[in-house]
This record gives sequence, C-alpha cells and structure tokens, in this order.
Amino acid sequence: MTMDVTLNVNGQEHKLAVEPTETVVNILRNRLELTGTHKDCSMGVCGACTVLMNGRPVSSCLLLAPQADGQEIRTVESLEHDGKLSPLQEAFLTFGAVQCGYCTPGFLMTATALLEENPKPDRGEVIEALKGNLCRCTGYKKIIEAVESVVGQ
Amino acid sequence: MTLGDWKEPEGEKFALGTVKEQTHWQEEYHRLVRETVEQERALHPTEVETDPQTIGMRIPRNDALYKVRGRARYAGNIEMEGMLYGRFVRSQYPHARILSVDTSKAKTAPGVKGILTGAEIPDDRLLVGPISDDTPILAKEKVRFAGEPIVAIVAETEQQAEDACLLVDVEYEPLDTILTPEEAIAESSVTIDPVDGNIITDLHHGQGDIEAGFAEADIILENDYEIEPVDHCFLESPAGVAFIDPDDVLTVLVCTQYPHYHHKQLARVTGRPMDKVRVVQTVVGGAFGGKMDNTVECASALLTMKTGRPIKMVFTREEVFTATTKRHAMKIHQRLGATKDGRITALDVRNLFDGGAYRSYSMICSGRCVIHAGMPYRIPNLKVHHTAVFTNHVPSGAMRSFGVVKVAFAMECQLNELADKLGISPIEIRRINGLVDEDLTSTGQTLTDVGLLKSLDAIEPLYEQRKAELAGYSNGTRRKGLGIACLGYGIGYSGVRNPSTARVRADVKGVVTAFCGTPDIGTGSDTSLAMVAAESAGIAVDRIRVVSGDSTKTDDSGPTSASRTTYFSGNAAHIAGMDFKAQFEAAVAGKRDVPAEEVRLQEDAVIVRNERMNFEDACQLIGDDIEQIGGYGKFDPDIAVDILTFKGNPYPTYVFATHLVEIEMDTELGSVDLVKAWCAHDAGTIVNPTGAEGQVEGGVAMGVGQALWERVVREGGYIMNPHYRDYLLPSAKDVTQEIESIFVENHDRTGPYGAKGLAEVSLIPIPAAMANAVTDAVDVRPNHLPMDSEFVLDLLNDTSTNVAGE
Repeated sequence: MTMDVTLNVNGQEHKLAVEPTETVVNILRNRLELTGTHKDCSMGVCGACTVLMNGRPVSSCLLLAPQADGQEIRTVESLEHDGKLSPLQEAFLTFGAVQCGYCTPGFLMTATALLEENPKPDRGEVIEALKGNLCRCTGYKKIIEAVESVVGQ
Repeated sequence: MTLGDWKEPEGEKFALGTVKEQTHWQEEYHRLVRETVEQERALHPTEVETDPQTIGMRIPRNDALYKVRGRARYAGNIEMEGMLYGRFVRSQYPHARILSVDTSKAKTAPGVKGILTGAEIPDDRLLVGPISDDTPILAKEKVRFAGEPIVAIVAETEQQAEDACLLVDVEYEPLDTILTPEEAIAESSVTIDPVDGNIITDLHHGQGDIEAGFAEADIILENDYEIEPVDHCFLESPAGVAFIDPDDVLTVLVCTQYPHYHHKQLARVTGRPMDKVRVVQTVVGGAFGGKMDNTVECASALLTMKTGRPIKMVFTREEVFTATTKRHAMKIHQRLGATKDGRITALDVRNLFDGGAYRSYSMICSGRCVIHAGMPYRIPNLKVHHTAVFTNHVPSGAMRSFGVVKVAFAMECQLNELADKLGISPIEIRRINGLVDEDLTSTGQTLTDVGLLKSLDAIEPLYEQRKAELAGYSNGTRRKGLGIACLGYGIGYSGVRNPSTARVRADVKGVVTAFCGTPDIGTGSDTSLAMVAAESAGIAVDRIRVVSGDSTKTDDSGPTSASRTTYFSGNAAHIAGMDFKAQFEAAVAGKRDVPAEEVRLQEDAVIVRNERMNFEDACQLIGDDIEQIGGYGKFDPDIAVDILTFKGNPYPTYVFATHLVEIEMDTELGSVDLVKAWCAHDAGTIVNPTGAEGQVEGGVAMGVGQALWERVVREGGYIMNPHYRDYLLPSAKDVTQEIESIFVENHDRTGPYGAKGLAEVSLIPIPAAMANAVTDAVDVRPNHLPMDSEFVLDLLNDTSTNVAGE
C-alpha cells in the first residue's frame, strides 16, 4: 500500500507515492539524490541524518514520510547559495572542524538551527545544542570553536 | 554514474559534482590556501633559502570543500544503473556445526537476483584474512561466532534482500563454546581452530636476569588489570560497490585503509589476473584500524561476477557491532620491582588476549604489546609472556594503537603506585626511569631523538601549579584529582619492512599530481603529503592534487595504519618532490640552453639566471617533454626483528608524550568528568598544526570513552549492546573543550622535515591518566576499564581495595 505525500525539500516540492513506513532519510538519499544527509545508527542517536523540519533539527531516520507531508525540510545541500558557502560551512573548513566528514552535515544542520533560533548562544548553549550529534574523529573542540566563530555574523 | 565513468573519472573522484562545480570548488580552495599562506607568512616571516615555506602552516584540508557541502562520495552514496543490493544471513550461534543450508525459498522471493553460499566457493579460495587466510568469506562447515556470515543475497532493493535472508533455513548442531582466555588455555574438549587449536600465539620476550632484578628491589608491586573490549565506532559503517567495468576489470569501490590488500585478495578469491582487478578507496568515514579486514569486498565481488550487475553492500550499525573486529579484551598481571630511590629493577608481565574467533590482526597486536611492555622506560630486567587465544567471540583486530593503550594502562598505573609508595612525585618517577637518547630498548635498539623528557618538562610546571591550586579541594561529594601518564610508541609495522612510495608528475597546464601509496582515511593525510611534496618540489601546495587509494595508480605502500603515513609516505613524498624538482630544473635548463645549476624552482616560480617565470609558463616552455618528468620517491628503512627473541630494530623511530588530566568526580554517584587535559607530544616536526591538534583532541575524546563508559557487553558469546543506545560514546557534553595540545620541539633526523607521526598515540595515555587522577581524588586504585560509575562505587565501598586500607 502506498500513499501520496508532498515534501517540500530545500524549497522544491516533491509529490511522492510512499510506503507509510518509508523514512525521510531513505527518500532523500535514494529518491531525491540528496546524499549529503548520512545514515548511521537508524535509531535517532547519532545525529548523522539530521535535517531541519520547519526550522527544527530532527533525525530523518526516525521521521516517516507521512509525518513530513506538507512540511518544509532543509538539508545540508541548501546551505550553499549561488556557489558560496554559508559562514558556518566556511568556519568548519577553516577551523579544522571536518575530519572524516561523515558527521559534518548533521552538525551543520543542528548548528544552523541553533543560530537561527538563538543568534548569540553562549558556549553552554552551543554544547547543549550539539550534544545529540556524535563525532568520533575531532573530539568536538574545533566543531564548537567553528560554531562560536560565526556567532553574531 | 555509469560503469565506464569510473575508468578515468573527470575531476576529483571523491567529489559528487559536475566538472563546472568542481572547477569552482578548486578555485575556492586555491583562494583559501593563498589567504592562509599570506596570513601565516605575515605572522611568521620566513626566509626562502633556509626556512620551510609550507611545512608548519595551517593549510585547510583539500577535501573539506565538498565534505561541508554534503557532496563527498562515500561508498553508500554511489548509485549505478542496474544496481543490486546485498545482505548477509548471519550465524545465530557462537559455535556450531552447519548441517545444512537451504536457500530454495529465498531464491524465489520477490526481487532476489543472486544467492551465494560458502559451498559454491572453491576451498582454496574460501579463506581470507589480513595476516593469515583463516576466515571463510561465507561459513561452510562451522560457525565460530554469532554474527558470522553464512549466505549473501542480492536483490533489486535492500529491503527485498533483507526479507529474503529470513527465508534461508540453516540447520545447526550447536557446539560447546570457549568464552574466556582461561578456558582457551586449559585442557578442553572444545577446539575452535583446526590448525592451532585454541591458541593464536604464545610469545616470550625479555632481557637481563629477572630474578636478580627482583632480588635487587627494595619494593615489589604486583597487580592485575582487566580491560574490556571496545568498538571503533567509525560513524560510516563498512560499505562497498562492486562491478565489472567495460574493459572487464573487476572494480570494487570501498571504504578501506588498504586498497592493495583487497586487490591481491580479490585476485586470488576470484581467480582473476592482477590486472583484471581494481580497488578504489572511497571517502572513508572514520576507520581507526577497523577497516583493514574483509567485510563486503569478497562477497560483493563474487556476486557481481555471478549476476553481471553492480552490487552495493552496506553494513547496518548492528552488524558493525556484532560482525566487525573489536579491540581485544585483555588481562594483564604485572610485577614491578624498584629500588627505594625509584629506579625500576625488574618487570614481569603476563598478558592474556581474547582474540575472538579468527586471527585478524591478533598476531600484530600481540607483537606490539610484547615490544611495548615497559615502554617508555629503562627496564634492565624484563620478562614478558603474552598469549593470544581463540574464543567464540567476534574476532578482535586492529584498533588505534594495536593494543598498546592497555599495556600503557597497566604500566602507568603501576608506576604511579610506585611513586606514591616511595613518596616521589609522578613526574620525578618518570624522569628517573624515562628513556633518553642512546638508551637501548628491550629489543636492543639504540634510540635517537627521544623527546620523552621534553614532554615531561612541558607538563611539570602545569602539574605543580594545578596541584597547588587544587590542594584540599572538596565540595560536598565532589572531589578533584590530577593524573599523569606517558607513552612511547614505535611508528610503522613491527619488525617488518614496510616501504612507501610516491610519484610526482606535472602537465603542461601546471597541474601537479602526487601519487601516494597510502590512502587518506579521514585524518587529512592527503593534505599533509601535498604539503611535504610541495615543500620539496618548491611549488605551491594548492597546485598539488593527491591521488591515493587507487590500487591501480599507486604502488602497494601498506595500509594507512600504525601512525605511519606522515613518516613513511611523507618521506616518500619528500624524496619524490626533490626528484621532481631536479628533473624539472634540468628540463627548463635544456630548453634555455643553460647549465642546470643555474635554474631554480622555488616559491612556485622558476628562476633562470636573472629571469623569473611563473610555474605555468615554465610548464609551457617544457611542453610535451613534461611527460618525461616523473619524480619518484621510495622510503624503505632497514628494520628487522628476530621473531623468536624479538631482538633487533622493530621501528625506524618512536614518538613520546606526557599527558596530564584534571578530573572532577562525585563520590556518591561514582561519576567521573574530565575537566581539562594537557597533552605534550614529541611527534617530531608538526606538518600541519590544525590537523595535528585535531588528532590529539579526537584521541583524547576516544580515550575518555574507553576510560569511562565504552564496553562491548558479551554474554554467552552474544553481544548485548549492539547499538549506540547501550554502547555509550562521548558526546560534546562529555568531552571537555579544555584540551591543550602542546607539541615539544624535537626534530627527528630520519623524518620528513623532522616529522614522526601522531594519529594513534594521543589516545594511549588517557585511560591511565584518568585512572591516576581517580586515585589522586579519592584514594582508590582502579584496575579495570571502563571505570564506569558502578565500578567506581564498588571501589569506593570496598575498603579492601582502598589505598588507605593497604
């Protein structure tokens, strides 16, 4: 049994026939060719699949397509404008916040949501926001420094 | 992407983008690097003739531009027309005879296009392994751990493959199991391995006269340590794509630390000639030693040959936990003798290693544990007995430090106990015994460029200051403590030659390509190697494109492991860069008809007598002859060890470090928090400080996880916590942001621009330093990892293990 849903992804509407149990991460990766959203634990713990739904970070591995019907989804691919990186993306690059890069899109989306909601977070608020995204390479220090560097920009 | 596109992909194979997009990204990278270089030059002016022009600069990684865009080509991101998706049927038992495998129902299931069983693979091709060919691609007669693959199924969708796996009937005859090293060593009716029984290896090593050493001692400490197994937890699970390209080359795109290993193995397993196989490393989402064994490679290759269609296989997180290698569970009994002035006279070590069901890297980890027993100290009388055994657990393999983190845990805890008992400071006890230049290791190697005491010197004032500031700190149930631990670690393979090579070429447009044998597994080594090659060739670093990780485009230079890439491949890139420079200068000289010594390639320009031309113009001048220029570098230090006595020179160089940690703990909750870590490293010259700090900070985080929470829980041969909910990884909230990387000045005479290596080692001292800080805070001596709340509370409540009660 399939059902029709409309996903608004990065400003584009996609009308899709989906299985009710299909996850948004699978739709993004397998049907919309948006592979920047990564998949790891599939149980909402690691944060690698974080996307923004109506501006809020969510684990797209736990988000079923019907739950996202009519909602606005943003992925890492939306951060760049006219070939120019967002200040946060550029900060990740120059601060060395990227190593293997598998967790990077998730961190970027969580941090983007934080800064949209709270443009001047202090360190405690940055850490609180990022605690649901796991990184095994960096030890988090440079990620937090990168986020802090764009506060107020 | 079509199959043919992989033959010579346009642009960067790791980036998912059109040629136009990639050109834009490349321009952006040039701009960023140039800006960085200008800023750094303004801060630290250099002399062209005498100072490095690139080494030591914070050059941004050359892959971050597409990683921050979400456009990196991890294996799981690759789709091809006609692709099939594969899953494994895995053993339900830790030890059982396979009586029958019935795939008839699965064969007719929706979407199923191919099924592979062990019975279809000829016996002489069935077994694979990184060191010994002992692990079946698919188990045929017997399973040795729960989670071992038995059948592989490919279907039109991953879900169909998964559903079909449930339709396979495997009939087992369960066998008794061996689950501890003690059971494996004892007489037993259970035999795991048909060749070696239950013992993987039994090693002895030593020097001096152990009895005389203890007779000379004024104090003898005897302790047991136990370390639980942990998982690498690279966030990207093993994934690969296999297909036959239009030229009939079996091609496997896979996240791996060692493409050439898979290349050779696949040639043997498929019966194809070497030139009909190609392994290309995709972007690796973390590895830490866990991507050097066969996972998806062999099964997906055999299935693409069987079905004629591209195959993709991706492990689930649960499969990563249950079916990929772990860090060895280990027990250490250690007896240490010293004089009352703190000089070690004897060390007697007994190690037991749970190797799991197959050999994987157990031999290598064992050798390292033996050679590193007592490191980094002078131990005049040493006896080491190390036994690695088979058990019916998932195989143990390589993980960041190859076991040395556990050896260091025992040694560093015991050394602190010795200092406390003798009333000597933890810094001083290490200064008394620490290795210095011209010392001999237990293998008889004479050391040079030893920076251990420099790292102690860097830490000592910080320690004394914090000690004074924390004196008498107590806040309700909260306590604070300081802990120190050191390390010494050999770079590269243990006692086996492991050369690296590099080639540097240019085209008429001025694009320079460095072909490096060891791949970048996420650490940023491609950027470091570009920096070394640029420095030696005299050209700008952003001009260099690094090609690594393609088994048909570089020589086999071993894996990226054992902290060896900066040192081994860096040396190769250095030699190749200099060779390129000399050939390039000669070519320009030939075109201008001047003697070669009057041409200089430096600062990304060519100077011919008084004329200066930019590099592109020089390439144009050389014209098509530029194809004749090929800078080549091979670095192959003379290392060898007698495999029976361990005597010889096992490593070309060693790195050293001292870590100091400050913790805060709660005596009611048993919880431990890291407040700050100061990490002083002798890693030789630092090629890229941003990358080096990243390695240290990541190593500290991993060390904190292993020290406090991480543990693969095993019961009856089954893993009880195969997911992140019950296997706790450090998050941003758990790891302090107060990590201070201190790189002591120490130039290694054999390293590229004096560099040694760093990647694994920042992890090694952390668990020991944390344990020593717990002792400092609450007067108990942890002898077990992880030191979770339950364990700490037990220690606090058990007066028999309390220091005050000793």
